[in-house]
Amino acid sequence: MKPKVAFFDFAGCEGDQLQIANLEEDILTLLGQVEIVAFREVMKEHSDNYDIAFIEGSCTRLQDEDRLKQIRKNAKLVVAIGSCATIGGINSLKNYRDSDDVRRTVYGDQARLFDTYAARPIDAVIPVDAYVHGCPMTKDEFLLVVKSLLLGKKPDIPNYPVCVECKKNENICAFERGQYCVGTVTRAGCNSCCVNEGTICWGCRGLVDNPNENSHKEVLIRYGQTVDDAIAKFRLYFGWQEAKR
Amino acid sequence: MRQPPSGHEKLKVGFNMKIIAKEDFNNFVNALINNNSFNVIGVKAKRDKFTFAPIDSAQELRLDYDVTLLPPKKYFFPQRETLFTYDLAGGFSAKGQAAEPKRMVIIGVHPYDIVALLHMDEIFRETKSDPYYFEKRDSSVIIGVNIQKMSKWNFSPYMGTATTEYGYDIMLTDLGNRYAINVGSEKGQELLDKYAKNVTSALARDIQLVGQKKREIMQLTQQKFDFPTELIPELLRKNYEESSFWERHSEPCLACGSCVLVCPTCYCFDVKDNPDLTLASGERIRTWDGCLLEDFAKVASGENFRSTRPTRYRHRYFKKGKYLYDRFGFISCVGCGRCGSNCLPNIANPVDLFNDMYHNTIGTVTAGAEPEVQIQTNESINYVPKLATIIKKQAMTHMETLLEIKLDDGSDLGHKPGQFVEISVFGVGEAPISVSSPPTKKGSFELCVRKLGSVTTKLHTLKEGDKVGIRGPFGNGFDAEFLKRKDLLFIAGGLGMAPLRSLFNYVLDNRKDYGRVTLLYGCKEPRELLFSDEMIALASREDVDFKPTVNWCPENETWTGNIGVITTLIPQVDFDPDKTYAIVVGPPVMYKFVLHDLRERKVPDDHIIVSLERRMKCGVGKCGHCQMNEIYVCKDGPVFNYSKIKGLPEAL
Repeated sequence: MKPKVAFFDFAGCEGDQLQIANLEEDILTLLGQVEIVAFREVMKEHSDNYDIAFIEGSCTRLQDEDRLKQIRKNAKLVVAIGSCATIGGINSLKNYRDSDDVRRTVYGDQARLFDTYAARPIDAVIPVDAYVHGCPMTKDEFLLVVKSLLLGKKPDIPNYPVCVECKKNENICAFERGQYCVGTVTRAGCNSCCVNEGTICWGCRGLVDNPNENSHKEVLIRYGQTVDDAIAKFRLYFGWQEAKR
Repeated sequence: MRQPPSGHEKLKVGFNMKIIAKEDFNNFVNALINNNSFNVIGVKAKRDKFTFAPIDSAQELRLDYDVTLLPPKKYFFPQRETLFTYDLAGGFSAKGQAAEPKRMVIIGVHPYDIVALLHMDEIFRETKSDPYYFEKRDSSVIIGVNIQKMSKWNFSPYMGTATTEYGYDIMLTDLGNRYAINVGSEKGQELLDKYAKNVTSALARDIQLVGQKKREIMQLTQQKFDFPTELIPELLRKNYEESSFWERHSEPCLACGSCVLVCPTCYCFDVKDNPDLTLASGERIRTWDGCLLEDFAKVASGENFRSTRPTRYRHRYFKKGKYLYDRFGFISCVGCGRCGSNCLPNIANPVDLFNDMYHNTIGTVTAGAEPEVQIQTNESINYVPKLATIIKKQAMTHMETLLEIKLDDGSDLGHKPGQFVEISVFGVGEAPISVSSPPTKKGSFELCVRKLGSVTTKLHTLKEGDKVGIRGPFGNGFDAEFLKRKDLLFIAGGLGMAPLRSLFNYVLDNRKDYGRVTLLYGCKEPRELLFSDEMIALASREDVDFKPTVNWCPENETWTGNIGVITTLIPQVDFDPDKTYAIVVGPPVMYKFVLHDLRERKVPDDHIIVSLERRMKCGVGKCGHCQMNEIYVCKDGPVFNYSKIKGLPEAL
C-alpha cells in the first residue's frame, strides 16, 4: 500500500508547497509512490488519515502548538519543509524586536486580536524526523528526502558549509568579489545555487552542527564589515538558532 | 627527494626542442577543436580568475594565467562521478561507467599541476588501480605551459615542481611571438605531426632562452621557506604531540574544507546511492570529500575518530608531509598555493605553518632516512558488487541479526577469518561488515549485522530470498596459519564477537592444530549475548575454557555467569603469557583497559592481536576515510599486531 502523505502550513509564504505543485512530470512518478490525502494549495479533499506529514512555516502562536501536536499524533513521520519550518527562518527576525511594535506594524489597530509569540521552527514544538532545508526548498532536495524516507534511509543532508559546493563549482569566493557571505557556516546541500549565480549565501539552510561563528565574524570584520553588519548577516536566517546557542 | 616519474621517461631537454609561431599554434588548437574526436580543454578567464574549461576557439586560451581555481584533476577524478547504474526491475543488472567517447586534450597545465597528476597516478594505482581514473588519464593528452605569472601564494620552486622534465605530452614555453615546444611522449609527437603546421627545429638561442626563462621562474615566488623542505617529514614527526601548537593554528578553522577541495593532490571521496524516483533503478556515485570536514571520520555508531578541529587540521599536514611521504617517498604537495589563497581565516598556507613549526622546534632537525617505497599494483578495482541472496535470516538480539548469504554466481566468498565485505542495499548504500562465519563453512557465509546506520537498518527489514550486493572480501584478516600450535586467548566485547567468531570457529573446526583455547566474552546484559546457542554448547566442551560476563543483569532475567566488565574475567584465567596469543576485538573503549590488564599479566605486545573499526567506504585504500595516522584500516588492517600499532596515536 502506498504511504499517505499530507501537507500543512503555518506562518510562511507557502513557497515550499509551490515547489511541489511545480514538480511537473515528476509529480506523476511521485504519485506512483505515495497517495496525497491533504494538500490545501492544490486540492479540495482533506483526510486526517496519513503516514507522512510535511509541514511548512514556523510556529508563531501558542494555539498553533495544539494543531502541531495533533499532526504529530496522526503521522508516523513528520518532515519540516522550508526554512521557516526547519530553522525558524526569516520570521525569527521579529524575535529581536518589541513584540507589541511588531504586531502593530502587521495588524494595525487590530493588533490586540492577534496574540503571537516568538517565531520558532517546528522542532521547537514537536519532534521532527526529517528536514528539507532552503528558502524555498528545492524540488530536487524534496524528492531526495521523499526517496530516502520511502527506502527507510536517513536522508543524506550535508553537515558541512556551502564553501564545499562553491569550491566544487569553481565559484569565485564572494569575499574575493568584495561581498560578504555566510556560506562558511551555512549547511550545504543547495549546490551553492545563489553563489553560482554571482550573488552571496544568505544562510537560508541554517547553521552547520558546529559552526565556528567567532572565526566567521572575525573574517567578516577583517573584510570590512562592522560588528553590527556581522550580527545582522547572522540574524536574517539564524535568528532562532543563534538565540538557542 | 623523490618526485614520481610513473613510467614517464626523463627527457633530454633541448635535444628535440621545436619552435612554433603563436599563430600556427592557434591554428593547431583550432584544428583539434574542429576535429570531432577530441574534447579540447584549456585555461580560460573567469572574471579576474582562471579555470580549465572546454574551449571553442584558441582565442579563448589564457596561457599567461597565474593559477586556476581548480586543478585539472577534475577531468580524471570528477567532483561527482557515477560508479555504476543499477536496475532492480526484472532481476538485477548493474552497468559500470560508460567509456568516454572523446579523447581529452588539456592545454595550459602548469608544471606543478603536472607533477600533482603524477602523484594522483601513484595514489590511484597503489595496490589496486582505479579503472575510472586511468581510463580518462591514459587516453588524454596533456599540453603543459611554463609559468609566466605566479600567484602570490605559489611556492612550487621550494617543492621542486616549478618546472618539470616529465609528465607532459607537450610542454610550451612562451618566447614572445612563438612557443618553444618540448615533446614528452609519442602521443604528443603524433598530435603535432598530424595537426600542427610550420613546426621547426629550435635554434641554439631558443634553447638558451628557454633555459633562462626556466631559471627566472624560480625567482617568481613571493613565498619563503626558512628551511629546506626535505626536513618537513622529520619536522612533522617531532611535532605530532605539540597539541598547543595545533590548537593555536587550527582555532580559526571553519571546517569548510576549502583547502582540501582545491588541492591538486587530494583524492578522498565519499560513496553514496542516488535512486531514481521509481526506486527501482538508480546509480552509485562518488563525490569529493575532505578530511577537514567535521564528519569525515564518523562511523554509523556515531563515533567520530577525528572529532576536533586540531586533529583534523593536523591530519591534513601529516597526510601531505608525512603519511604519503612514508608510503610513496614524496611530499604530496606541489606548492600551487591554492589552499592558502582559498582559506578565509588565512591558516592554510603550508609555508606559514611549517616556518612557525620550524622556529618552534627545539633542537636541530635533520632529515630522516628516506622511506623504503614498495608500491605494488595488482588487479583493477571493481566498484560494482556481485549480486547475492539472503538465504537465511535469524534474529539474534533486539539489535543484531545474523544473515546467511550466498553469492548468486555460485562462487565461494573465499575469505580469511577477520576479513570484511562491503554489503549493498541498492538505493540505500554500502556498509562494511565483518564476516562471522569461518572459511571452513563453504557455499555461503554469515554476517552479524547490528542496526546502526541506514544500510544496516534496512538490512534488518529484508527477508530471506531478498537480493543484496557484495564486494570483497577486504582487509588482511587473522593469520590462522601462524597461530597454529599456539595457546589462544580470545577476548570479545559486544559486537566484537562477530568478527572474532570467524577465527574462533575456524580454530574449533581445526581444534587439534591449536593449543589451549580460552574465550572471554562480555556484553552489557544477558539479552545482548550473541550466538547464544553456540555459547551454551561451548560451556560443555572440555577443550575450550569459556567464560562469559555481563556488565549487569536486570531483575527479570537470569544469569549464572560472571557479572562485571570484561576485564574482571582476566584474573580468572590461567595462561602462560609467553605461549599465549591474545586476540582482542571489541568497541573502541574496551581496548585500553583490556590491553592494560594483559600487559600487567606479562603478555608481550607482539602476542596481542586486535581488530579495529573505522569508516571504510571503498574497502580498497582509496577513499581516505578509514585512515588512522599513516595506516589504512581497510587495507593494512583491520587486524593488527598490537606491537605494530602501539606507537600510532590515532589507533586505540
